[in-house]
Amino acid sequence: MSGRLRDSDWFGPFLVTVLAVVTVTAFSPSFLSPFNVQILLLAISVNAMVAFSQMIIIAIGQMNLSVGAIGGLAAIAFGGMMEVWGLPWPLAAIVALCIGLLAGLANGVLVAMTGISAFIITLASLSIYKGINLGITEAQPFYAIPQAVKSIGNDTMLGPLPWLVLPCILVAVGLWYALERLSIGRAVLAVGGNAHAAELSGISVRRVTMIAHAVSGFLAALAGIMLVARLQIGQPTIGDDWLILSFAAPVIGGAVLSGGRISVAGTFFGVALVAIFTQVLVLFDIDPFLVQIVLGALILWAVGINRYREVRARRQLGVAAP
Amino acid sequence: MAKNDGGRGARISPVRVLLSNEFGLIVLIILFAVIFASVSPAFLSKFSLYALGRTAAVNIMIGFSMMVVIVTGGLNLAVGAIGVGAAMTGGLLMEAFGWPWPLAIAGGLAVGAALGAINGVLIVRSGLHSFIITLATMSIFFGVMIFLTQAQSFRGISPAFTGFGRSKLFDVLSPLLLVSVAVGLLLSVLFRLTALGRELLATGANERAAELSGIRAHRMITVCHVLSGVLAAVAGLMLVARTGAAIPSMAGQLGQDWLLPAFLGPVLGGTLLTGGRLSVLGTFLGSFLVTMLTTGLLLMQVGAFWVQTWLGLLLLFAVLVDMARRSFLSRRKLA
Amino acid sequence: MTATPLFVAEGITKSFPGVIALDEVRLSLEAGSIHALLGENGAGKSTLIKAMTGVHPLDSGRMLLDGIEYRPKVTREATSRGIGVVHQERNLVPRFSIAENIFLERLGGAPLRRVVHEKLIADAREWLDVLEIDADPSLPVERLSVARMQLVEIARALSLGSRLLLLDEPTASLTSHETDALFRILRRLRDDGTGLMFVSHKLEEVQEICDGVTVLRDGRNACESRALAGLGRQDIVRLMIGRSEIIPDWEARDRSDRETVLELENVSTPLGHKGVDLAVHAGEIVGLYGLVGAGRSELAKCILGKYPINEGRVSIRGEPVEITSVADAVRRHRIGYVSEDRKNEGLVLMHSVLDNVGAPIWRRLANRFGLLGDGTVRAHTLPFIEKLEVRTPSLAQSVGNLSGGNQQKVSVAKWLAAETAILIVDEPSVGIDIKTKAYLHELIRELSDGGIALILITSDMPEMIALADRIVVMNDYRVTGEIANTRQYDAMSEQIMALIQG
Repeated sequence: MSGRLRDSDWFGPFLVTVLAVVTVTAFSPSFLSPFNVQILLLAISVNAMVAFSQMIIIAIGQMNLSVGAIGGLAAIAFGGMMEVWGLPWPLAAIVALCIGLLAGLANGVLVAMTGISAFIITLASLSIYKGINLGITEAQPFYAIPQAVKSIGNDTMLGPLPWLVLPCILVAVGLWYALERLSIGRAVLAVGGNAHAAELSGISVRRVTMIAHAVSGFLAALAGIMLVARLQIGQPTIGDDWLILSFAAPVIGGAVLSGGRISVAGTFFGVALVAIFTQVLVLFDIDPFLVQIVLGALILWAVGINRYREVRARRQLGVAAP
Repeated sequence: MAKNDGGRGARISPVRVLLSNEFGLIVLIILFAVIFASVSPAFLSKFSLYALGRTAAVNIMIGFSMMVVIVTGGLNLAVGAIGVGAAMTGGLLMEAFGWPWPLAIAGGLAVGAALGAINGVLIVRSGLHSFIITLATMSIFFGVMIFLTQAQSFRGISPAFTGFGRSKLFDVLSPLLLVSVAVGLLLSVLFRLTALGRELLATGANERAAELSGIRAHRMITVCHVLSGVLAAVAGLMLVARTGAAIPSMAGQLGQDWLLPAFLGPVLGGTLLTGGRLSVLGTFLGSFLVTMLTTGLLLMQVGAFWVQTWLGLLLLFAVLVDMARRSFLSRRKLA
Repeated sequence: MTATPLFVAEGITKSFPGVIALDEVRLSLEAGSIHALLGENGAGKSTLIKAMTGVHPLDSGRMLLDGIEYRPKVTREATSRGIGVVHQERNLVPRFSIAENIFLERLGGAPLRRVVHEKLIADAREWLDVLEIDADPSLPVERLSVARMQLVEIARALSLGSRLLLLDEPTASLTSHETDALFRILRRLRDDGTGLMFVSHKLEEVQEICDGVTVLRDGRNACESRALAGLGRQDIVRLMIGRSEIIPDWEARDRSDRETVLELENVSTPLGHKGVDLAVHAGEIVGLYGLVGAGRSELAKCILGKYPINEGRVSIRGEPVEITSVADAVRRHRIGYVSEDRKNEGLVLMHSVLDNVGAPIWRRLANRFGLLGDGTVRAHTLPFIEKLEVRTPSLAQSVGNLSGGNQQKVSVAKWLAAETAILIVDEPSVGIDIKTKAYLHELIRELSDGGIALILITSDMPEMIALADRIVVMNDYRVTGEIANTRQYDAMSEQIMALIQG
C-alpha cells in the first residue's frame, strides 16, 4: 500500500501542500484564519477549473492555448447577457457554458479533421475568441452583475467554505469518475497513452479528440463565469493570465505532456500549492512578481521529473519516447 | 532571398513561380493595397505608408525571430518575453546608467542572445520539447524582468535613438524598415550561402540524418535559439526607438501578444512548421501583408478590437491552405 | 482425411514503385500447427504479414480462411475474421492495467458506458489462467517485463477470437527462460486448435517449436509450407540465403600487409558488445556477417561515434583515438556511414540532391567568413554525382522523389565527396533493383582499389562473398570468428554457417 501511495502522482504534491501549510502557519498563524482560508479557497476553486480545462487536453497528448480566450469570451458573454439582454443569471450561465463548449468543439473538430497540430489551431482560435471578446466589449467591462451572482462568488456556505468550492468539487469528482470509470474517460487516457494502439483497438481518436476539446472549452467557460462571480464584474481581461497556470498545475500534479498520464487530485494540489505560494508572497510583503518566476521554474522541474519517469517506463514498452 | 531549392542548375518553371508562396503574397499585397486605397484614399498617403512600413518593420523582426526556430523544428514561445527583456535592458542602460545608445543596444542584444542561449541549452540538455521549455522560460524571463524593473517604464531614452526611430526617409520610408530589410538580407545569406545555415536547415529537416552526416545537431539547435533571441531583441529595441520609451507591457502579459504575429509571418511565408524549409522573403512579405491588413482594416473602421479576430482567422486559413497546397504539389511531384 | 487448411495464400503478388515485394508467393497453414515464416531482411515477410492483416491490398493472388475467400480491406476485418497479430513493437497503453489492455476494444463503443474494473479483472484472470500467466490483472502494463507484455498481447488476440495468431519476432527481447515459458503456451494453443505463424530470425527456436516452414527469398518462395522435420539448420540457412546471382569473377585479394587503418581491440560497448577485435587495412573490404540482431549496425554506430565505447581501444592508423561524437568521426577521422535505413538516417528526403551530397563537407568548403555558395558545393560534388550516374532531372530535385537505387547512390556519393577514408556500408542492396545492386558492387570494389578501408555489413551471402576480402562473423554482439575469402563458395558457406551458431 505504501508503495502504491508513493508511486501515485498526487501524493507528492499533497505532502508538499501540507508541509507548506504547516510551515507558513508556523510563521504566520493568521494564515489559517477563516477569512484567509476563504480567500484561498476562492482562488483555488477558480484556478482548479482552469487547470482542469487544460488537464483534459494534456491527457490526450495535446495542448489548448485558447483556454484563457474561451474563458474570457464566456465571462463577457455571461456578463453581457445579463446586463444588455436582462437574462436571468442561470440562463445566462447556461448559454455562456454552451458558448464555451462550442468554442472547444470547434478546436477539436479542426484538430481532428485536418490533422494540423493543436498548437497552431488553438493559437489561431485564441486570437479569434479573444478578438470576438474585445470586439464585443471594446475593452469595457460589464458592471451590472446581479447580487445573487456576486454572493455566490464571494460568500461562504459553510464555515469558511465558499459557494464556489461546490462547482470545483463537483467537476473534480466528475472528471475523476469519468477518467476512472467511464468508457469515454478511459478512451481519452488510451489515446493519450498510445494513440496507435487505441486506434487499432477500434477507438476513434478523432471522436475522442473532439470530445476532449469540447469538455476543455466547457470547463474554461465555467472558470470564466466563476471568476465573474468572484470579481463581481464581467471583465474582458479574464483569461489573459491563464496560460502558464493551466500548464503548471497539471504538470506539478504529475502530468506528462505526451499524454496518457494525468491526475485530478495531483492537479488540484498543484493549484493549491500555487495559490498558497501566491498568498505567502502577499503575506510576507515579497514582490508578487516572483510568482511568474517560480511558476516557470516549477514547470521546468516538474516536467523534467515526469519525463524521466515516463521515458524509463516507455523504453520498456517499445513505444518511442516522443 | 530565394527558397532553399538546391543548385543553380534548376530550371525555374513558370508554374513553380506562379504557385510559389512569395508570388502569391506579392499578388495579395497588391490586391489588398488596391482594395484599401479605393475604399479609403488616405491609405496611400505618405504618412500612412510611412507608419505602415514602420509597424511592419517590428512585425517582420518578430516573424524572423520565430522563423529561425521553426526551421529547426522547434518553437520559441518566449519571443515576446525576450524582446521585452532586451528592450528594458536597453532602456535601463540608457536612462539609469547613461550609456550612449549604441552601447545600450549592444547590451540589449547581448541579453537577447543570452536568454536565447538559456533556452537552447535547456532544450538540448533536457531532451524536452521546446514548447514546454519556452513556455516555462517565457514566464521566468518575464518575471525576472518585471522583478528587476518593478514594472516601471524607462522614458529617458536617448533622443538620438528615438530620433532614428521616428525619422523619415523621403517622407515615406522608415529607417526601421530598412533595418528589417537588412536583417532579412543577412538571414538570406545565412541560410543560403553559409555552412552554418545549411546545417541548420538539415538539422530541421531530419535531425538523425543530419547528425549521421557529421553535423553537430545539438549545437545547431542552441545556435538557432540564440539567433532567435537576438532577433527578438532587435524587435524590442525597435519598439523602444519608435515609441520613445521602454514599457514592460509592450508585448502584453508574458510577452504573449507577440505570439500571433510571430507565427503568422513565417506560416504565410511558407516556412514549414515541421522544419527544414524556410523562406526569408516569404516571412518578410507575410509579416508585411499582415501589417497591411491590420492597418487597412483599421482604416476601414473595422475597429481596433476586431482586428485580432481577423488575424486569427487568417492564421487558420493560411495553415489550411498551406496544407492543401502542399498535398497538391506533392501529388504532382512539384515540391 | 485431409482437413481444409486454416489459411491458404496463392499467387500473392504485391509491388511498390521500383520493387516487387512479393512474387507469386504461396503458403498453407493448418489449424493446430505452428508454421515458421523465414527470410532475410527485404525477403518480403513483413509485406506478407501486412497483406494478411489487411494493411496492404494485393496486386494479384488470393487468400482463403477455412476455404472461404478472404480479402480484407481494413485491419478490423482481419480481426473479425479471426486473425490476430502480435507485432514486434508493443501496442499497449502503458498506464492501463493488464485487464484493460486485453479488453481495449471495449472502449470503442458508447462513451458513457461504465467501465467496471472488477469485471475486467475477473474476465482477464480467465485468459491469464488459460495462458498460465501468473500476474495480477490489475497491474499497470508498464510495470511488466517485455515477456509478460507480449503475453498480454497474445491474451488480447485470443480474447478477440483469433484462430490464426501471427507472432512477429516474439522472442527478440526475451531471455531463454521466458522463451521456454512462451513456447509452452504456444504449444498449448496449438494443441487447442489455434494456427500460429511464427516469424523469427532465431533458427534454433524455429527448429524447436515449429512444425512447418515457408522460406521467402527476394519476394519469392524459396520453399513452401514444408515440414520442418528432416531439415537441418544448414538446409534452412541455405534456403534463406541461397545463390541467386552470378558472383563476379574478381580475383581474391589479400590486403593484410597494408597499413592498418582502423583497429578495434577488445572493445566493449554499452549496447552489449564484448571483446570485439576488428582490423581493417587500407584498400581492404572487411565484411561483417551475421543474422539480424547480431549487433553489426550497432557496432558501426559505435565506431561512428554515435554511441560510446566502454572498454578496449580504437586506433586509427596506429594512433589510439577517442571518438566523442559523430561530427568528430566524420570531420576529424574521415569516417563515413552508409546507413541501412537510408530514408530516415541516410538522407534528408525533403532536401535536394545537391544539399544531401554536400552535407558532410559544408564546413570544410566554407571560406574564412563561413560563406559557401552553391557553385562551390556543386563543383565539389558534381563529379561524384556524375560518376555514380545518379539519375535525376536536376541537382535541385528533392531526394525523396528519386528511385530507391538512385537514393542509395546519393547516400554513397555524399561520402565520396567527403573523401572518406574509412567507409562503413550497411546493407547497401536492400530494396534496390538488380542493376543498381551490381553497379554498387562494382563501385565498392573500385573504392577499395582506390585505397579506402571499407567495412561491409550485409546479410546477403553472395554479396558478402563477392566483395569481402575477409569475413568477420558476428553473433549476439560478439565476434565469433573470421575467415579469409578464398572464393571457394561452398567451403566458405559451411565455415560461415558454423561460425554463425556462435
